[in-house]
Amino acid sequence: MHIEIDEISKQFGSTAALTPVSLNLPSGALVALLGPSGSGKTTLLRILGGLEYPTSGRILFDGQDATGLTVQQRRAGFVFQSYALFRHMTVFENIAYGLRARPRATRPPKAEIARRVQKLLELIQLPQIGARYPNQLSGGQRQRVALARALAIEPRMLLLDEPFGALDAKVRKELRQGLRDIHDETGLTTVFVAHDQEEAMELADLVVVMSMGRIEQIGKPADIRARPASDFVRNFITA
Amino acid sequence: MVRPLLNRSPMPGLGLSMGITVAMLSLVVLLPIGALLWQGASFGLSGMWGVINRERVWKALLLSFRLSFYAALFNLVFGVLLAWVLARYRFPGRRLLDAAVDLPFALPTAVAGIALTALYAPNGFFGAIFKDYGIRIAYTEWGIFIALVFVGLPFVARTVQPVVEELETEVEEASATLGASRLYTLYRVILPALLPAALTGFALSLARAVGEYGSVIFIAGNKPLATEIAPLLIVIQLEEFNYDGAASIGIAMLVISFAMLLVINLIQVWSRRRIGNV
Amino acid sequence: MSDATTLAAPPRPRAFRAATEESPAVRRGLILIAVAGLAILVFAPLIVVFAEALAKGAVAAVKSLQSKDALSAIRLTLLIAAISVPLNAVFGIAAAWFITKFDFRGKAFLITLIDLPFSVSPVVAGLCIVFMFGANSLAGGWLVAQGFPIVFALPGIVLATVFVTFPFVARELIPVMIEQGRAEEEAALTLGASGWRVFRTVTLPNIRWALLYGVLLCNARAMGEFGAVAVVSGKIRGQTATMPITIEMQYNEYLSVAAFSLAAVLTLLALVTLLLKTILEIRHADEIAATRRH
Ligand SMILES: Nc1ncnc2c1ncn2[C@@H]1O[C@H](COP(=O)(O)OP(=O)(O)OP(=O)(O)O)[C@@H](O)[C@H]1O
Ligand SMILES: [Mg+2]
Repeated sequence: MHIEIDEISKQFGSTAALTPVSLNLPSGALVALLGPSGSGKTTLLRILGGLEYPTSGRILFDGQDATGLTVQQRRAGFVFQSYALFRHMTVFENIAYGLRARPRATRPPKAEIARRVQKLLELIQLPQIGARYPNQLSGGQRQRVALARALAIEPRMLLLDEPFGALDAKVRKELRQGLRDIHDETGLTTVFVAHDQEEAMELADLVVVMSMGRIEQIGKPADIRARPASDFVRNFITA
Repeated sequence: MVRPLLNRSPMPGLGLSMGITVAMLSLVVLLPIGALLWQGASFGLSGMWGVINRERVWKALLLSFRLSFYAALFNLVFGVLLAWVLARYRFPGRRLLDAAVDLPFALPTAVAGIALTALYAPNGFFGAIFKDYGIRIAYTEWGIFIALVFVGLPFVARTVQPVVEELETEVEEASATLGASRLYTLYRVILPALLPAALTGFALSLARAVGEYGSVIFIAGNKPLATEIAPLLIVIQLEEFNYDGAASIGIAMLVISFAMLLVINLIQVWSRRRIGNV
Repeated sequence: MSDATTLAAPPRPRAFRAATEESPAVRRGLILIAVAGLAILVFAPLIVVFAEALAKGAVAAVKSLQSKDALSAIRLTLLIAAISVPLNAVFGIAAAWFITKFDFRGKAFLITLIDLPFSVSPVVAGLCIVFMFGANSLAGGWLVAQGFPIVFALPGIVLATVFVTFPFVARELIPVMIEQGRAEEEAALTLGASGWRVFRTVTLPNIRWALLYGVLLCNARAMGEFGAVAVVSGKIRGQTATMPITIEMQYNEYLSVAAFSLAAVLTLLALVTLLLKTILEIRHADEIAATRRH
């Protein structure tokens, strides 16, 4: 799905988390939001997912105004920074949650739900862990379960807030490739927040560098490396 | 830019939860309190002052406040001790003691009232012992004091206990490595850390005691000018259909409650500023 | 295992004491004071209730509980708890949701208002209800004319009970819900769940023990409330006399066994409450608010 962000701004009391930003994300792209802490990455992602209302501006999905759509209507697969797995539910129940929450008319039958959950568990290469609870999983496993849960609703896009933030270096590398594979397989427009410039540069098709609520530069990793648009970007990507 | 009254949010249930909260708060608490103030206002300030400024009322208010203060003071000391013992020591029966601290919360005040009276009346178990020494407990200020200690017992212990549990023993160890004796560590390191919680518990205990009625009236004897507490005066005014009189004393007590609530909040603001977070 | 003796750690010096411990004598002394204090202040009144109830034998106690007054008091008290505790639970859940899931100005003030009944004397609480709904008031006069009296009747007692127990459930839920944050609810929303479904399947399972805890405390207080009910009930025998009010009437009529038997029933209820509370605290400590104040 093609996502267009049109002059979106967000004000929290007296802090401007986003001064008007505009952004065009082509269908099927894997996009990294990169920037220092407090630059507004999470805010932008949450506005895309419908978890936060913009103070002004519009969001277009495939050319249609989506600003007024509720969270539920957006159908954005959202992976939270700390995963937000339901701790009182098993992995299976976590992944099945979105399907079971559908209205009766569109809810798949029980057997179909089980089949789809199993398929997702295989996709994340953890076919055996359906009966476990989140606190019985490692950090990397939790992250993959969160991804599977987001994918279960057949989302129109995938939004991930620092998906590798809480993991150690080795696991990060593995999961990075995992995200790339899943992206390529599903073809979903994917936006992820990255703290780490190497991660963004290596994984993304398109990198959006942000600072203080503004977009400093948008471009392919190679272009940004070769031609940083400002001193800030130069310093940030060489840091 | 001014902060908006309410940040818009996609969280569901705003209208419903706000509606129930505001409606019930208004109907059950705010409007009735308003009705009391309205009654007082239509009686007039000078009228209310006329009711309060009588020896019997002053004596009752002072008695309530004085004995509540002593009882809260007792509970401050005993409550900190209880919190320390329950949080730090492991001994058989600790769970039982821990549960017992909460009994005054769970036991109806009228039950506590008649039980304490039965214990401390001259022919009661404790009362008889004191009688041998010529001391009367029930139907004197001592009886009121004991009832107020009972109802206020859990407050200090329960506010201080979690703080003791979260005290980092490293700080105490640091103090010891610096050569401080246990006693010195106690009053320079431990007690200051417990102080805000202890004061909060003290104020809560005091507030509860000043308004207490059920457990006191049985043991107090209720002699005018001697052992008559302020809440009882309200009940007496009501029984005589003297609504203005009841409203006047009620408002006086409400003002005392508000003042104490303010003090509790100030303690919490102060301690938050000092220690970071309570 | 012959070398076990040679490898054994050097004996711990007998006088060794961790830097964070008091000497055994001091410990024993403090424990003794705590036990003695609670024995005198708490256990003794507890025993007296049962001793006085059984002063003329178990038969007399049971018989007094079967009197018309006692039975009607028990029925009334159960009815009042059955109405006011659910009201309070609904309020507590709504208030905790409003306060923890939304950002608005004046939140601290709202919490203070919810806490207000803790520091208002129950007698004053009852007085407020009388002035709001009594026959002499505007609202009360109209309601009496409609044949729906509040004061000296069941609705007034319920209102007074809800007033004095007002903060109980909300107070338990708010810290727990703050600690748990909003992320799980947000995740459920992005997965397409409706608001009601989010509450039922995500929030409620996470707060159920804290909710039960609050309801338990609320119930104990609701059944035992005396001061506020004394003012609004009119103490009409067989009609508006709750268990605590009946205890007072019987005690003042020197019906000691009857009064203490009824008191023993309420005491048993308090003990069951404490037992359940202790179990909850042991088994679900993480889900129950750590800092408590009532
Ligand atoms: N709910 C909120 N209330 C008030 N201010 C907020 C809120 N959420 C974010 N902010 C502010 O908005 C700005 C942008 O925050 P945001 O979380 O989008 O940053 P970020 O780029 O994701 O940072 P990080 O890399 O640390 O996660 C910050 O100044 C932050 O303090
Ligand atoms: Mg962020």
